[in-house]
Amino acid sequence: MEDPLHPFELHTIVPLSLFGLDVSINKAVIMMFVVVGLVTLLLTKARSSGSLIPTKLQSVAELLVEFIRGMIHETMGPEGMRFFPLIATLFLFILFCNLLGLMPGAYTVTSQLVVTGAFALGVYTLSLLVGFKVHGVKFLGILVPSGTPAWLLPLMIPIEIISQLARPVSLSVRLFANMTAGHVILGVLFGLTISGGLLIGWLPFSFTVALYGLEVGIAFIQAYIFTILTCVYMGDAFHLH
Amino acid sequence: MPSSPDPLFAGLGQAVRIGTNLLATLMVGGGLGWSIDSYVLPTEPWGLVGGLILGVIAGIRNAYRTAQRWDHS
Repeated sequence: MEDPLHPFELHTIVPLSLFGLDVSINKAVIMMFVVVGLVTLLLTKARSSGSLIPTKLQSVAELLVEFIRGMIHETMGPEGMRFFPLIATLFLFILFCNLLGLMPGAYTVTSQLVVTGAFALGVYTLSLLVGFKVHGVKFLGILVPSGTPAWLLPLMIPIEIISQLARPVSLSVRLFANMTAGHVILGVLFGLTISGGLLIGWLPFSFTVALYGLEVGIAFIQAYIFTILTCVYMGDAFHLH
Repeated sequence: MPSSPDPLFAGLGQAVRIGTNLLATLMVGGGLGWSIDSYVLPTEPWGLVGGLILGVIAGIRNAYRTAQRWDHS
């Protein structure tokens, strides 16, 4: 049976080097280009008609914008709309990476911890910068939960530091682990289907059909969770306590 | 969260967070304790032990806080 982790291996297709850095093109990079191109194409096309009676694509795009706007308003309030482009880009990119990765032969970019880790670290650093810019040094008060008695402070501050540092970790690991696990399970079940033959192979095959549906749902949910948590962290930076 | 588009969607989104949060705080707590042990202070193994305990506390506290937000929805 084929190694279920085999689809996650990356091989250089076009070797490139920039100032001594390895920037070779591999399957993941190509997938990222495809995702960016597809999202840009779809949204430009949805926008181009711009009629009062929306076309199908236009109404989907409008729903999407409303969805993201709702997310930002709930967590950050109206002043968070400054970050709308960032949040929308993150959501669309992760969603399309997750969904396109489910196509046979495609590569799931979000199943690489490097990618999700870079997103999570970037978003978290940005939220820290926003916090320090809005509140100055007082932003360190995020480490002291409101209503803490003074004698508990030596215990609470390390705990708060840990839970702050855990934010980027959980953000990146969640997306990466969900994507990887789903694809490994699909791979294992498909392997069982092939080695099972006609007699018993239909059983794992029917599981793959069901699981595939679940994976499509997970692709949406994980993209949603990543973006809503980004909004929540940004919101924490805006509003202390 | 007040008015999310789909209650099932939003509810699932909130439920899925807690598990990884527990794991992440444990990892960060243990990692911090371990690095204090090996690079800063000669407190082997108590930094790791303390870090793990703090990580568990932080994880459970975070889960509690996440769950508390549900009531306002």
